Amino acid sequence: MFAAYLFSIRDALNRRMALVLIGLSIVLAVVFNWIIQVKLLPGPVIFLGPRMFWAADLGVPSVLSAGLEFTGGVFWLLLAILAAAPILSSSLDKGWVELTLSKGTARWQILLGGYLAGVTVYFTAVVLALAPIALRLWWQTKISSWPLAVSILLQTFSFAALLALASLASLPRIGAAPPVLLAMAVSIVSAVLAQRERGLYQVLTSRWSHWIFDWLYRILPKTSELSGMASSYIHGEKFTTWWPFWSTGVFIVATLGLTAWLLHRKSL
Amino acid sequence: MTAPAIETQELHKKYVTLRRKEIPALNGVSLSIERGTIFGLLGPNGAGKTTLVKILLGLALPTNGSARLLDSHTGGTAARRRVGYLPENMRLPDYIKAPALLRYMGRLNGVPSGTLKKRIPELLDQVGLGGVKKPAKAYSKGMLQRLGLAQALLNDPELLILDEPTDGLDPLGRKQVRDLLLALRAAGKTIFLNSHMLSEVEQVCDRVAILDRGLVARAATPDEFTRGSGDYILRVAEVNDAVRAAAAAVAKAGTWQASTLRFAPRDRAQLNALVDKLRAVPVEIEAIEPVKNSLEQFFLKVVSGEDS
Repeated sequence: MFAAYLFSIRDALNRRMALVLIGLSIVLAVVFNWIIQVKLLPGPVIFLGPRMFWAADLGVPSVLSAGLEFTGGVFWLLLAILAAAPILSSSLDKGWVELTLSKGTARWQILLGGYLAGVTVYFTAVVLALAPIALRLWWQTKISSWPLAVSILLQTFSFAALLALASLASLPRIGAAPPVLLAMAVSIVSAVLAQRERGLYQVLTSRWSHWIFDWLYRILPKTSELSGMASSYIHGEKFTTWWPFWSTGVFIVATLGLTAWLLHRKSL
Repeated sequence: MTAPAIETQELHKKYVTLRRKEIPALNGVSLSIERGTIFGLLGPNGAGKTTLVKILLGLALPTNGSARLLDSHTGGTAARRRVGYLPENMRLPDYIKAPALLRYMGRLNGVPSGTLKKRIPELLDQVGLGGVKKPAKAYSKGMLQRLGLAQALLNDPELLILDEPTDGLDPLGRKQVRDLLLALRAAGKTIFLNSHMLSEVEQVCDRVAILDRGLVARAATPDEFTRGSGDYILRVAEVNDAVRAAAAAVAKAGTWQASTLRFAPRDRAQLNALVDKLRAVPVEIEAIEPVKNSLEQFFLKVVSGEDS
């Protein structure tokens, strides 16, 4: 599996979209460091531009959660899925898949290697974008920014759920577009379902539709809630529930398990 | 007794379309391939050759029947680590270079890093790609084929399954591959060759099977396939009435075409009697050859149904 993982990382780095994602992460890190200023008045103060400023104990979490919201946003997710999904779909290309799957490594290991490589690409991009400013703020204000590490892991976990779905959608071997579209659609639906009582249920009032949407909510990954958890963790808030976390975990395991089983049964 | 390298029994495979239509690919293929031999699989397009290879490698599951590879079931990774496979129409990522591809393939087969470090340059030299620095997208079909062969040999396999190994190679390259196959057989390897190049199969294979419409139509040695009807061709330096008369005395049913006589001797004694008679004329005999079928002729007869 480790061979497949290393090869998939290499594969991703030879794709334009992954390079764009990594390049944007570096640009984002530079921009953050450029617009955020720390001044040591009687106590450290964080300036965003000449007028907007916070005391450091408020400013550090605010800056980091703003960055995290950007890397958890639709634009970033789309880029990340565009970078990671082709790792899985191209591994099933005709003429190549016969070569790799005829070797002495189980199919599930090759699948998992590619999947973990995709998750690594996203994780690396987020770390590249946010770690420099987090380290600088900690260095200058002495206010700990370690909760960002946990938040990045939570956000990566949310991305991992979308990528698991993309890997399942790669199996019919009809290109990278369907996995990307499906993952993005689920990410949007997840946000709508999380707010269903304030949105959907105001429009759709029948009990059946509520039943269907409740079940959809239970089954699908809770990407928007995980982003919310990641953001609130930076602000030092305690989680009121772990439900979004473990239900998404079940989704990841079930989706990857199903993908591995289907791949195992697949006649090429 | 050692188990055969490949053994299939009543192997069936049906593909089912989205509209639930069943398309049979294999209709009960039973084969046994001894270790240390070169086996050639022939068949027209759509005969089921690639499906059979895929089932052997665990790339496709049979609908019915059983297949064993190196005395293990075909889906297992342990058996596949002892097999080298060159697929037809191999496609590689554009950017990949030969050593990186071989490293990856070796690792997937569990070859230790130290062995790979030593073996990769050796193999690249052996297939004529030593020192080639460009990525796969700049490779010719022949270079890709050579690289495909190198990756198939990387794990020093007991069994090689090669799908059209000389496709895209020039005559020199084809000769090199043939020599390589013979050397591998001499080293005790088993080779399963799937090829359209009938002359090549005829030259290197110990046994050949013709697959037609998902069934083994015939299986024999190339000699058995090309064995003629018993006719001989006898060529003389010069034909005149005396020569014709001498020939007619022994081989009444023989037919002349220019200076060549074709006839079917009852036995070897009759053939020798003809030679004695002609030498007594006297006439110089240039050649005596048994008439053989080419494998291509036999193949065409089988797949067209003429040879039942």
